[in-house]
Amino acid sequence: MPLLETRDLTRHFGGLAAVNHVDLTVEKGEIVGLIGPNGAGKTTCFNLLSGFLRPTAGSIAFDGEDITGRRPHQIAARGLVRTFQLTTLFQEMTALQNVLLGLHLHSGTGLRQLLFSRRDFPPDEVARGREALEFTGLAAHADQLTKNLPHGHQRVLGIAMALAARPRLLLLDEPVTGMNLDESGRVMDLVKTIRGHGTTILLVEHNMKAVMGTCERIVVLNFGQKLSEGTPSEVSTSRDVIQAYLGTGVNHA
Amino acid sequence: MRRRAGALGVLSVLIVLALLVPRFGGDYYVHIFALVFTNVILAASLRPSLTCGQLNIGHSAFMSIGAYASALLAKNLAVPFELSLLGGAVLATLVGVVIGYPSLRLRGVYFAMVTVAFVEVIRLIAQLWVSLTRGMSGLSGIPKPNLLGMTLTTKAGQYYLGLALMLIVLLILWKLEHSRLGLIWKSIGMADNLAQSLGVDIARHKLLAFMLGCFFAGIAGAFYAHFIRFLFPPEFGFLMATNILVYNYVGGRGHFAGAIVGAIFLSLLSEPFRGSPYETIFFSIAMLLTILFLPGGLITLPEKLAGLRRWRAAAAPTPSPAA
Amino acid sequence: MTFALLVQSAIIGTSLGSIYILMALGLTLMFGMMHIINFAHGAVYMLGAFVIYYVFFQGGAPYFAAFVVAMIVLGIFGYLVERSIYRPIRGGIEPTLVALIALTTFLQAAGYPVFGQLDKHVPPVFPGTRNILGVGISIERLMIIPIAAALVVALYLFINRTRLGAAMRAIEQDKEAAALQGVNVNVVNGLAFAIGFALAAASGALMAPIFKLDPMMGEQPLLKAFIIIILGGLGSIPGAILGGLMLGLIDSIVATALGAEPAFLLSFVFIILLLLFRPTGLFGYAP
Repeated sequence: MPLLETRDLTRHFGGLAAVNHVDLTVEKGEIVGLIGPNGAGKTTCFNLLSGFLRPTAGSIAFDGEDITGRRPHQIAARGLVRTFQLTTLFQEMTALQNVLLGLHLHSGTGLRQLLFSRRDFPPDEVARGREALEFTGLAAHADQLTKNLPHGHQRVLGIAMALAARPRLLLLDEPVTGMNLDESGRVMDLVKTIRGHGTTILLVEHNMKAVMGTCERIVVLNFGQKLSEGTPSEVSTSRDVIQAYLGTGVNHA
Repeated sequence: MRRRAGALGVLSVLIVLALLVPRFGGDYYVHIFALVFTNVILAASLRPSLTCGQLNIGHSAFMSIGAYASALLAKNLAVPFELSLLGGAVLATLVGVVIGYPSLRLRGVYFAMVTVAFVEVIRLIAQLWVSLTRGMSGLSGIPKPNLLGMTLTTKAGQYYLGLALMLIVLLILWKLEHSRLGLIWKSIGMADNLAQSLGVDIARHKLLAFMLGCFFAGIAGAFYAHFIRFLFPPEFGFLMATNILVYNYVGGRGHFAGAIVGAIFLSLLSEPFRGSPYETIFFSIAMLLTILFLPGGLITLPEKLAGLRRWRAAAAPTPSPAA
Repeated sequence: MTFALLVQSAIIGTSLGSIYILMALGLTLMFGMMHIINFAHGAVYMLGAFVIYYVFFQGGAPYFAAFVVAMIVLGIFGYLVERSIYRPIRGGIEPTLVALIALTTFLQAAGYPVFGQLDKHVPPVFPGTRNILGVGISIERLMIIPIAAALVVALYLFINRTRLGAAMRAIEQDKEAAALQGVNVNVVNGLAFAIGFALAAASGALMAPIFKLDPMMGEQPLLKAFIIIILGGLGSIPGAILGGLMLGLIDSIVATALGAEPAFLLSFVFIILLLLFRPTGLFGYAP
């Protein structure tokens, strides 16, 4: 049974089909890339999978359970966690606080603990939060305000937060867009390490070098429809794909 | 750590001063400060909602519910103050859920507009339900507060009651704001989509924050009712609601102390014009000036001044060695 | 008798609805472009009515001249508010709202010492009644309908047929793209403020001969306009027109049967129920 499976997934905006009859499957342990020219429906697809948009038609199953129409927090609670493009973070909080919020799903808080505990957070949670920062190489910045972190660190922090929520499937929305070669290489290594720890990954990315070098399988969307699917080499030599990207210049490694 | 110790020091000095007011000030000051305590509770009780990013311009509606409910329970049914206070707060919370639940799904300006209408609706009900509230004649003859069966006959006794209520409410709200719950509220206010993606049920948390606000506004209203002992529907109109908002903005929204500083500062400063249009004129000017020139509120003033001094020092001409 | 009463309520409702439409149009236009709600709209309505009081009644100028003065003076005021409040806050939606609330309470409170504590009255501009289907209707109320309709048509033509109107629509669609196309966003926002304020002033000016004048008189129409744009969907001009007419009719028919205040309560309950089932408003615009 695939970890994620969509059937006929469709979303209309007005008369326009942003995502049109897309069947997408992700198997446990894979790193899958979702690519396509601008406006192909990748972001809409992510918003549908994570519950921020309701599909007009079709279904989404996660680990065998139908999650169509569930709300974002319910989907996150089942282990399907997403990141956001650019730097959607809690900017006025420290890096550690950001990660602690990621732990939200796995901490039971009673009123008694809220009112009468001496500490804001139990020490074991703080330790787990620091662990997540350590794992992503941000340990040294734990107590810095997020808005003061360099851009690259902010992006990684977004991933660290999602990891703290203990995803079984992690959706990464453009994790390396706008990074230089060195930074994007490190983030992609991190992505592989995360997979090594048992988390399945589906990512949207414009940086073709990063996608081709990291993903085992690639799904290409165009005008809201699935255009092609296969290994990086299959996809990058596909006539349809080259056609779709003509003008934007596909640059395969 | 040192900052915390400093804050605790300032706090204890303030509490001691507050305890001394009835000894050294006359009844006038007792009266004024008891009203300030009500305003502090109101301002602080708006914080959970504001922190979630909900611009609530209807808070006085819930104060009014608490006030009328507690007053009527005590007056008509001789319910002791402890219970009528609680009854007022619970009723305010219940009404809050009924109107809050559908409106909290609205974001930003939609929500703000609906809360304005809350105030009008509650005021109109108080005005029209004459058999219960006496409408525009005003509700009088509200019993003085009592504790454990003993009536607090003196203004000073009632003052201490108000002080105690305020401190308890502030302690609870402060504790909540600095718990995980507070961090979640903050996260919803900063980026609600990200909070959702991390598993936060934002609808539930917004409602919880809103209900807490209603509950404590109800407490403030109940105390007010038994202290002033006269209720008049227009008192709890749009102006009162905006005042509560103004306390928070002028004091500063970034810190819990902002609500307290704003409420105390504005209540005391506007005291000479109380009840006249000049009170409102004063409030609105203070508000506009703060938003335009001190967006962080009064609590950021020391920081700003320090920054200015550093900047002056840096800009001051240094004696040139060439001369 | 019941039929006559119905005709009367329907006409009065349409006339009331026209006022609400003028209020709501400005609000919805400003929202569409800047995502702010002008809380000061009610205060501007009040100022519009007082301009009529001073210029027409006290000053003896012709009514239509006073009407135009109200629109121009308050339109300029709107532009100044954009420059001195909206622009310095730079798009912070929440602080802008709070600042506009402060401006409202300031204008209302300052109204008491400036205009005096006593209610003011403006004598009828169009005295007399006219017989329609056997019912006498005050001409004053009837006249509101064509004047408001003319303003709505003028606004429509302005937005759809002029370069500035096109710039406004461009900002509504996409501010950044409009700026890249060479639209001066600041000036056009200022214009939206001016138009919104002028329309609110016009509604106040139309109502001046009908209702008593006091500094708080704008509060009810403001709340009505809120209800209308929630009903019609924020940013939607057709929604504002339909919503305005609906609320005007509901208002006058329910008010005839039950009284004005219960009518307001009912319209609010209706809104709460609507929000419960259709959070985007009757006409389906997303918030």
